[in-house]
Amino acid sequence: MIRSLIYSISFHAVIILLTILSLPFMLRQPIDLPPIISVDFIQISDKTNIPYAPKARKVIEKVKEEEKRVVSEQAPPSAKAKEKPDRIPMPDDKKEEKQLVKKKQNPEEVEPKIRQSSEFEKKEIIDTNQIAALIDKAKQEEALTEKTSSKLTQSSVKNSFATGLTLSQEDALRAQIFGCWSIPLGLPYDDNLLVRIKLKLKKDGTIMKSEILDHERMNRPNQKFYKILAESALRAVRICQPLKVPTTGYEKWKDLQLNFNPTEMLKG
Amino acid sequence: MKFKINLRTVILVLLASFALSACATQKKAGMEGDVYTGSETVKYLASGVPDRVFFATNKSSLTTKSRDTLRKQATYLRKNKNLNITIEGHADERGTREYNLALGERRANAAKDYLMTYGVSGNRISVISYGKEKPVNTASTPLAWSQNRRSVTVKVN
Amino acid sequence: MYKLILISLILFLNTTFANSLIKVDITRGNLDPLPIAVSPLHVDPKSENRENIKVKELGDKISKIIENNFRSTGLFNPLAKDAFVQKPDIAHLKPRFEDWRLIKAQALVTGKIIVKDEKLKVEFRLWDLTASKEMIALAFTTTPSNWRRVAHIISDKIYERLTGEDGYFDTRIIYVAESGPKDKRVKKLAIMDQDGANTKYLTLGNELVLTPRFNPANQLVTYLSYFRNLPRVYLLDIETGVQEVVGNFPGMTFAPRFSPDGKQIIMRFAKAGNSDIATMDLESRVVERITDHSSIDTSPSYSPDGKYIAFNSDRSGLQQIYVMKSDGSNVKRVTFGNGLYGTPVWSPRGDLIAFTKVRKGRFYIGVMRVDGTGERLLTENFYQEAPSWSPNGRVLVFYRETKSGEKGEGFSAKLWSIDITGYNERKIKTETDASDPSWSSLLSK
Repeated sequence: MIRSLIYSISFHAVIILLTILSLPFMLRQPIDLPPIISVDFIQISDKTNIPYAPKARKVIEKVKEEEKRVVSEQAPPSAKAKEKPDRIPMPDDKKEEKQLVKKKQNPEEVEPKIRQSSEFEKKEIIDTNQIAALIDKAKQEEALTEKTSSKLTQSSVKNSFATGLTLSQEDALRAQIFGCWSIPLGLPYDDNLLVRIKLKLKKDGTIMKSEILDHERMNRPNQKFYKILAESALRAVRICQPLKVPTTGYEKWKDLQLNFNPTEMLKG
Repeated sequence: MKFKINLRTVILVLLASFALSACATQKKAGMEGDVYTGSETVKYLASGVPDRVFFATNKSSLTTKSRDTLRKQATYLRKNKNLNITIEGHADERGTREYNLALGERRANAAKDYLMTYGVSGNRISVISYGKEKPVNTASTPLAWSQNRRSVTVKVN
Repeated sequence: MYKLILISLILFLNTTFANSLIKVDITRGNLDPLPIAVSPLHVDPKSENRENIKVKELGDKISKIIENNFRSTGLFNPLAKDAFVQKPDIAHLKPRFEDWRLIKAQALVTGKIIVKDEKLKVEFRLWDLTASKEMIALAFTTTPSNWRRVAHIISDKIYERLTGEDGYFDTRIIYVAESGPKDKRVKKLAIMDQDGANTKYLTLGNELVLTPRFNPANQLVTYLSYFRNLPRVYLLDIETGVQEVVGNFPGMTFAPRFSPDGKQIIMRFAKAGNSDIATMDLESRVVERITDHSSIDTSPSYSPDGKYIAFNSDRSGLQQIYVMKSDGSNVKRVTFGNGLYGTPVWSPRGDLIAFTKVRKGRFYIGVMRVDGTGERLLTENFYQEAPSWSPNGRVLVFYRETKSGEKGEGFSAKLWSIDITGYNERKIKTETDASDPSWSSLLSK
């Protein structure tokens, strides 16, 4: 009698144990860790100002013309080009997240971090060997560039290539204007809406002179959307004064051209 | 022992009858598929002649029960040759207003055509649709909606 | 030696890239509403009081209407008046831009009015504060009782100047005002300014009225009335209040709309139990049948050029939207998604068709291109339908009904509006419950 009782209890216990263990919520799923990519925080500021890197330059131009933005899925590399704090040029410092675009009005999910990566960056991801080779060369030339840079500024202001601004400086400027530019929402989606504004800046970042390229277009009768867009761009630029400009290299950036293109935002 | 068995069967029988009675009430309030088959909202033109038929969602086809009801109405109308009627078509609230007006009209016409095939002259029948404007049950439940999808025969004189 | 070569190489390479200018692409900005300051209009002290209009308060009232209009678009942010620095009269002559910029305004509206000799004269200016100059300066004259329209016209001009789009503020909305229990609703035709003011009732509520529509000149309304228990299409003159039936046909006619030239009414027409679409010429009263199909065809809507008609048909088995030429030929189905589609309305811009969609027991308001592609659902609800376009094709007004309890309690119907981007969904204030809205064209055109 007692034996059968013991058997019965033990079998029951076994079955209960089995059901408990096999219940879904009891199972602990292994945590799916994304593969860890080691990030090398190199100083971009001077590296990007590679004095001679004609191949890279051509590559950049080509990519810009194609106008394709590859969304980088590797989040860590874009951390390098994250939105600037108030200091330039120290991109590898810890930055706070900055929500540039108030996305509440834009139904599409825009990922600022990923999209911020410039073409140069993207190329870096794709073509690391090329850049690696260039960086190596640049290391050698570092000492020289210091000497030659002074010569450059005197003789050929107009001849600085790459972009003249470092990657982080350009992004910093862009980010600042992003914040100031209120895009008129009534604009229709049109590939031809591009406003180019040429600026002459003072050393403190205020605007000496602003000029809309193809401003004759403003007064054409069926170009009223162009006019609205141009006005919004001018407003943005004026409100943004003083622009956050680098403390050095005034000759490099005193002439600036801003290409305002709202098509991405209007693609809703 | 005998007593025990008797008790068990008695309990079983009681349980079964409860179950059945539950089914019965279901039927009275209920629907067959989407079509209301109950009698809660039904009025009568005369003894044994219901004044309305019901429809499924978005449909204007007559069910067997509807045809049965309409045949009774036809018989009644043939007997009372001086009676003229209006058939009102209605829809539930779960559709766009203008489409519901057309759907109501279609339902009323379905009833009218059936009556005509059973010998009621078309001159005696006029048709009007109220769409969803005059619900008979104002709740927002499937039961209410099924009661509102109807074609009602109304005496005009 | 090495160094020399390198230096010359660098210099050489420098000269080959003669691109002087740094170019930066700005491809994003913010979608914040534009901060705009609307100064109260300055009332000329020489103004005379008129009837029951307190002229002194007009300047303030007009600016409030302008502010409300701007706020309702979701595109502008009118700034609070207590921060305003300059007095209205000076601000209109020569605003001190730095003062206004301090409150972060980017645009400024100033104006002045004078009521004299039974006329109201208005002058207003729009200033670009960042450029420190005038953007618009306009003046016009009207009767003093039209002071509300003055505010709407000013709002339209400014809206147009700042967004490039036509405005839609000087418009009216006609709708059905509802009251009473759910199974005994009292329905009247009502008309109001688009901001909810100036409500007037056009019928008494003794019979059911449904689905009213303006004609393009905004002085006639066509609608369905159950007068004497005969559902027919009627015409109502807003000015005189005279109603007349449009063709006394044996079957029910409903879902009436005007053609873009205002000369014809298109409606759903019943003949021999068949539901089809027909047009009637308002002058000759000749009726022309456009569709001839055993299915339910209803809710026709003309394209703005009058060449096409979008309509609702269940010829495929379920309610879908079709487009055909205005003579009835070339019928093409344009909706293929899951669910039922109804109430097609062609945008005044001609580029989109708005519709109601029902799917899995939920109601949606959406827009799509006129060939049926690019379907976008803007809002979802227990019950909503019947979108109507603002005259600039950017905003839709529609109505919503709530779920009701066991005895029909808690039932209400209200007008709502939404931008075609899906943003800025807002309730429109009406004196009573409301349904079946229809937006007029601009009154000032």
